[in-house]
Amino acid sequence: MTLQIELNGVNKFYGAFHALKDINLAIEEGTFVALVGPSGCGKSTLLRSLAGLEKISTGEMKIAGALMNDVPPRKRDVAMVFQSYALYPHMTVEENLTYSLRIRGVKRAEARKAAEEVAATTGLSHLMKRYPRELSGGQRQRVAMSRAIIRHPKAFLFDEPLSNLDAALRVHMRKEIRALHDRLNATSVYVTHDQIEAMTMADHVVVMRDGIIEQQGRPLDLYDRPANKFVAGFIGSPAMNFIPAVVGEDGAHVALDFGKTQAKLALGRGLPPGSSVTAGIRPEHIKVVAEGQGAFDVPVGFVESTGSATFITSATQPELTIVETGRGGVGSGDIIGLAIDPVQLHLFDTATGKRIEPENGRIGIEPPRHLHVAGHVS
Amino acid sequence: MKRILSSVTDGKGFDIGLVALPLAFLFVMSGLPLVYNVVMSFQEVDMFSLGSFARPFVGFRNYVDLFSQPETRPILFNTALFVAASIAGQFAIGFGLALFFWTNFPGASWLRGLFLVSWVMPGLVVGAIWNWILSGDFGVLNFLLRETGVIDGNIFWRSDPNYSLWAVIIANIWLGTSFNMILLSVGLSGIPKDLYEAAELDGANALQRFWTITLPMMRSTIGAIIALGLIFTLQQFDLFAAITSGGPNNTSNVTQYWAWDLSFRQYDFAKGATISVIMIVFVMFASVVYVRSTRHEVRG
Repeated sequence: MTLQIELNGVNKFYGAFHALKDINLAIEEGTFVALVGPSGCGKSTLLRSLAGLEKISTGEMKIAGALMNDVPPRKRDVAMVFQSYALYPHMTVEENLTYSLRIRGVKRAEARKAAEEVAATTGLSHLMKRYPRELSGGQRQRVAMSRAIIRHPKAFLFDEPLSNLDAALRVHMRKEIRALHDRLNATSVYVTHDQIEAMTMADHVVVMRDGIIEQQGRPLDLYDRPANKFVAGFIGSPAMNFIPAVVGEDGAHVALDFGKTQAKLALGRGLPPGSSVTAGIRPEHIKVVAEGQGAFDVPVGFVESTGSATFITSATQPELTIVETGRGGVGSGDIIGLAIDPVQLHLFDTATGKRIEPENGRIGIEPPRHLHVAGHVS
Repeated sequence: MKRILSSVTDGKGFDIGLVALPLAFLFVMSGLPLVYNVVMSFQEVDMFSLGSFARPFVGFRNYVDLFSQPETRPILFNTALFVAASIAGQFAIGFGLALFFWTNFPGASWLRGLFLVSWVMPGLVVGAIWNWILSGDFGVLNFLLRETGVIDGNIFWRSDPNYSLWAVIIANIWLGTSFNMILLSVGLSGIPKDLYEAAELDGANALQRFWTITLPMMRSTIGAIIALGLIFTLQQFDLFAAITSGGPNNTSNVTQYWAWDLSFRQYDFAKGATISVIMIVFVMFASVVYVRSTRHEVRG
């Protein structure tokens, strides 16, 4: 595999604003990369820099081995699908598709043939004579993608292409884009603020915040071993529970601090006694058991059910969110026991937010001893 | 009665009232004079019959007479040249300026606003200023052309038959450019930026982007501006009155000035009306173009 996109120490300044901070990224040919992060994290700036629409301030940017720092967008041979689609409103679908070919001087008949081939694969054949304003959102989206496909570019750049579609269509197009990527054996960079899109579509996820890459890796690695509290909270839905915790005097226990309630868990190794950490546990990794049967008990705050899953929010401070498949039978005000598989517990340094890696890979949970359960909703 | 009243305050009557009022105004202030003018062009009108509407009907005699006059053809040609050259100049310079300010350098919008000063100036004032600029002996334009070596001797812009019409055209271009610039600026700012980015990624260079994105996207704006330009240049009277008075020997005379000259200086009201009717036909054509092009707005 060869490297298709390479970023070495890329920085971008807008005046005094530091938009991209020392970005290093290596994307192999044929990879689907998702840039994900909250708005303003720099992911769109990074994508636009790859396209050449923004000029990077320092660092090195290579596409297919060639240095791109000063190459104008039209010579980079990358195609972009815009959030707004940016279809040419005064051109028919066919003219939109053939635009890049006509600009390059390809003969009209040849361009039309290429357009027909692409349109056949994206299901646009019957819409070739329509204008963009006569198309639905999903059809416009397809035109935007076809316009990129027809060029056989070195890389596809997607700038939140699904954000203007309704939820059902979004889920459908997610699969379609991924299937397209596989069929074309393309290299794709996909910007989104939706971590589910990133997780489901990408081979490689890059989580960004405030212009830096917080973590990058395979989607499930990010889910299983988030490098810091931000990534842990950003990846996964509903978001991970964070509970302040203090390491016990013996250095082998950690006490989860729920205000009135304290739940003591055993650690599989020594940590500096008395140090504060943040414990993280995903909602789907907490099991609801009968009162007194789990690691600790909590009162139930409220219960929401989607039919297939039940979301339980505890009446503790901080709140715990628990996801159960099925319907459970838990009601507001009940006291429930919670069982946590120790392997699923994440620990983060409270000060830096960095992940604390267990040395032997296990964080144990002691059997429940004292259950100071708050009797009322706190 | 009560039903009619309530319909006026909160029903269909209010809508009808809103439409009827301006319609009545237009009919009284524009429609009636227009019809009166058309009727007059088919009548024999002199100082004595001016007071009554029942004047001898002469059919197309006024038209036939008009076209048999030797000055008619040159004046019609002058009008065509004046309109074409003015619009071309105003549009070309206006578009250039609009594109220039579109680059959005610091102070662009402020400078663009200043340009409007030329448009709000009364035509007579503009004419007076251009009289000085175009003056044969001490005019600034002659000085510039002479010093840059374009001409050897002074051009007497206003009194030389070869230049008299161009003197007015130059002043009119100056007067109308900023209006074109503003409307075209508005049109340009209506084009989504991402279209240019998409075109750039599709491989189009600046010139190709102008031809394939800017111009087609501006089609309706350009159509409207040309049509409005046609109407405004056919209305341009002040500059002729201020700069050349149609002279010398009608070489800078145009229909709109001639119509006034015939009616109110030579008191040949019928001929004046006849010319006006011919102009109405052209203006109506321009209006249709204007209405059609604004209806054909192309927006994503």
